[in-house]
Amino acid sequence: MSQNESSPLKSSSSSLQVFSMMSLSPSLGSSYPWLKELKSEERGLYLIHLLLTCANHVATGSLENANIALEQISELASPDGDTMQRIAAYFTEALADRILKTWPGLHKAINSTRVVDLVSEQALVRRLFFEVFPFLKAAFLLVNQAIIEAMEGEKVVHVIDLDAAEPMQWIALIRGLSARPEGPPHLRISGIHVRKEVLDQMGHRLSEEAEKLDIPFQFNPVVGELEDLDVERLHVKTGEAVAISSVLRLHSLLASDDEPLRKKLPLALKNSNGIHLQRALRMSQNTLGELLEKDTVNGYSPSPDSASSSPLSSPVSPKVDTFLTALRGLLPKLVVITEQDSNHNGSTLMERLLESLHSYAALFDCLESTVSRASSERLKLEKMLFGNEIKNIISCEGAERKERHEKLEKWIQRLDSAGFCNVPLSYYGMLQAKTLLQGYNCNGYKMKAENGCVMICWQDRPMFSVSAWRCRNSL
Amino acid sequence: MPVDDYSSTVSGDASVSSTGNQNLPPKSTVKKKRNLPGMPDPDAEVIALSPTTLLATNRFVCEICNKGFQRDQNLQLHRRGHNLPWKLRQRSSKEVKKRVYVCPEPTCVHHDPSRALGDLTGIKKHFCRKHGEKKWKCDKCSKKYAVQSDWKAHSKICGTREYKCDCGTVFSRRDSFITHRAFCDALAVESAKTQTNPSSESDPKVQAADSSPRRSPPAASPPVSAPSAITSSDIRIQSSDPSTVVEEAPAPAPAPSPPPAGLNGSSSSSVSLVSSGCNSSSSSVFSNLFTSTTVSASIHPPQPLAPAPPLVGLNGSCSGSVSLVSSGASSSSSSGVFASLFASSTVSASIQPPQTPALTNLIRADLAPSTSIEPISLCLSTSHGSSIFGTTGQERRQHAPPLQPAMSATALLQKAAQMGAAASNASLLRGLGIVSSSAPQENLQWGQAQVDPDNASIAAGLGLGLPCDGSSGLKELMMGTPVFGPKQTTLDFLGLGVAAGGNPNASLSALITSIGSGFDATTAAASFRGGDYTSKDIGRSS
Repeated sequence: MSQNESSPLKSSSSSLQVFSMMSLSPSLGSSYPWLKELKSEERGLYLIHLLLTCANHVATGSLENANIALEQISELASPDGDTMQRIAAYFTEALADRILKTWPGLHKAINSTRVVDLVSEQALVRRLFFEVFPFLKAAFLLVNQAIIEAMEGEKVVHVIDLDAAEPMQWIALIRGLSARPEGPPHLRISGIHVRKEVLDQMGHRLSEEAEKLDIPFQFNPVVGELEDLDVERLHVKTGEAVAISSVLRLHSLLASDDEPLRKKLPLALKNSNGIHLQRALRMSQNTLGELLEKDTVNGYSPSPDSASSSPLSSPVSPKVDTFLTALRGLLPKLVVITEQDSNHNGSTLMERLLESLHSYAALFDCLESTVSRASSERLKLEKMLFGNEIKNIISCEGAERKERHEKLEKWIQRLDSAGFCNVPLSYYGMLQAKTLLQGYNCNGYKMKAENGCVMICWQDRPMFSVSAWRCRNSL
Repeated sequence: MPVDDYSSTVSGDASVSSTGNQNLPPKSTVKKKRNLPGMPDPDAEVIALSPTTLLATNRFVCEICNKGFQRDQNLQLHRRGHNLPWKLRQRSSKEVKKRVYVCPEPTCVHHDPSRALGDLTGIKKHFCRKHGEKKWKCDKCSKKYAVQSDWKAHSKICGTREYKCDCGTVFSRRDSFITHRAFCDALAVESAKTQTNPSSESDPKVQAADSSPRRSPPAASPPVSAPSAITSSDIRIQSSDPSTVVEEAPAPAPAPSPPPAGLNGSSSSSVSLVSSGCNSSSSSVFSNLFTSTTVSASIHPPQPLAPAPPLVGLNGSCSGSVSLVSSGASSSSSSGVFASLFASSTVSASIQPPQTPALTNLIRADLAPSTSIEPISLCLSTSHGSSIFGTTGQERRQHAPPLQPAMSATALLQKAAQMGAAASNASLLRGLGIVSSSAPQENLQWGQAQVDPDNASIAAGLGLGLPCDGSSGLKELMMGTPVFGPKQTTLDFLGLGVAAGGNPNASLSALITSIGSGFDATTAAASFRGGDYTSKDIGRSS
């Protein structure tokens, strides 16, 4: 299983595109009775094919063909079926949403009566994600261990959580700190979140826990969007040791960067990606040799909307940089970043679709291996968590598209240029995390450490990365 | 030294002499340890000063000339001027005991030694503020103060108010203004509604999830003595199974016992085991999360799994080993963290048959302190962590053997990529001399992808470009197989990925060329459908 290196993963993106080109069913009538008789594997392959075809049509703006493809997919896909069927269901929903956005009035109308997710539902889904997958648990172990080690000897510790929704992490930290040999420090936790109720809940639980263990504790709720955060509200006092933890949140800051570039392009959404692709292809035929050196489709595209966060060039992201600089201004002792480790921030639809197809295939496979198909919890996770993420990645653009996951090396670049240098994660923490992963009933979860950062993988695909940083002294 | 004060210890020891306890304060750190407000150090010396002493401005008196000073440092400086001989010059070098002060006013809360304040300046200010007359008055507003520093601080702020919320409240501080404004609308809306607390009703599920861990502390926190815990666990396990003899060791009996009861019984016993075993916080931590997961497991009561006793035994062994973990972990804080998060994954209705004697061994071993690493591996070997959902325990048992009929999505994607790669490789790369181990083929046919899923010869399905007529095509596919040397598993395609078209650049350029050359898809589509029919027959027959 571990023979595979990362190269087939890269190749598969482009190969998949070839695959999608291989046979395009012409525009025929709607019912394909033989479709239903396909066996699971054939059906899966056909679904992939149709998905890619449809995405291609959407990208190029040929909505008629996209419609046909969608219809065919709908015969095969189902949120209750096997893995590929489920994936296809959510991806087609995202694609359909994207198409619908070309008629903004229609899109708004169809979503006008949609009920915003209840706080309780969101909390449930978050809790499910924490319980069902070991990713968050392993990440918390690593983060907490890093904090505990960095705060050795500190009397006053101030932890800032950039997305304070899951109290389990801090409960574990409180317990860990209370058991340290020199006694617990005076602990302050500042939690940032959009919804006040979530913070109240969290503050309540944490205070309870700290009281039980007799630790001086303060919870400082900061209600608001992370993008608009004013670091003054964190009330960092001189003399306290600051640790900042960001769990799956930093990538949404990349969303604000597209806006100025977007505004320059008068093209409608349906055309931009198509033109981009065609231009790229035309250019490429002349410089085949050059292309053989590059890795992805987007690597050589000249169009302006790819200037932000193109995969190989150095990331230009002013908003994140400002934010990181502001964080650095707090002189934290430790900054720990946990992020999804996939490139879902490509500027073209196809790129994002291919990448996310692979990542979410892995996540859905996780679910398939650990939870039964009939489970409603699984359905909730797939629909409310992954489905929403997929929808955001595929159908949204600009500031709306918040799920801009990126690979670890890009985060490393960003943090480096913001004045941080890497702190290798604790060996002990890694050991604990590894044991946790092995303790899960399926042996698909793996962990690998690279340059002091840890990637938590499913089979061989890195899914999440954890890295720790401190301020570089020279700056 | 002032004559008026006397000292006694807070804990009620009635020694009148000022030497009091010889208790040394903890010297682990150089910095003073601050106690939590309102909770004075129980070993501290309690000093009760009279009001006059408290209000006196010159507390420190020089013994030579009886000059009074407000501060100790000033007194010391003054004493240097007297040219004292060496011995008398040193202050008494006994360690400074921690001193706490009580308020002389008998009606005051802080008159009680258990509510003493730790700072002399603090007690002075308190006395003035609460029991003194207010001599200082702000000139802008009518507020009066007894302590001069309070008055000064107020007058700086008075009149400088800048922030006014829409609801009319005025703030002098920016941060309180901002915080208030954030909640102001919410508060207004909430108060307009009925009195039901929205947060509590909107989070029923979260509350329910929370209530389970809250239920556990009462069960876990009272440290039960170890032997009784063990016996109670014995009894509980046995009580769930009425047919066994009571003296029997807690080896699981073959008679079916209600699994939820067994589950609960062993788990709660193990909880008490855990909590009794160690005094480190990690154990209570651990048992908390432990119980919460077992409670949730009982909420989804698994259907009676056939080997119910092994289940009991499993939980017992798991918990036993877990208690080892927690005891071993008493020295290191981190394993508490680890154990707590870990526990939630390991203890649920899991299905693997355990070694039941392990239960008794582990219980008898009774928390022998060991390194934290070993018990962890022990725990792992006996239990297999599983997901929280109890229901899935059974269903997972039913498809515990890896999913034969359905391929994983990742595998499907790999396969599709290979087919694409093979197709592109076939047409282009041979010319470029780029590595490809796929057999040279001319036609692109997708139909050949349909292979009987149970058949492990995945390579056969790769788009090797075989003609789409039925059986002959399949034979050729089979013959094409040795080229790839595939692995004989349905699930694992990764090995093949290396073999077939692993070169990313190759596929990319193939893409470009194939698009550029105006690849004709329609014919392929037609042949696809034909191929599909035939290969389905093949699939059925093979």
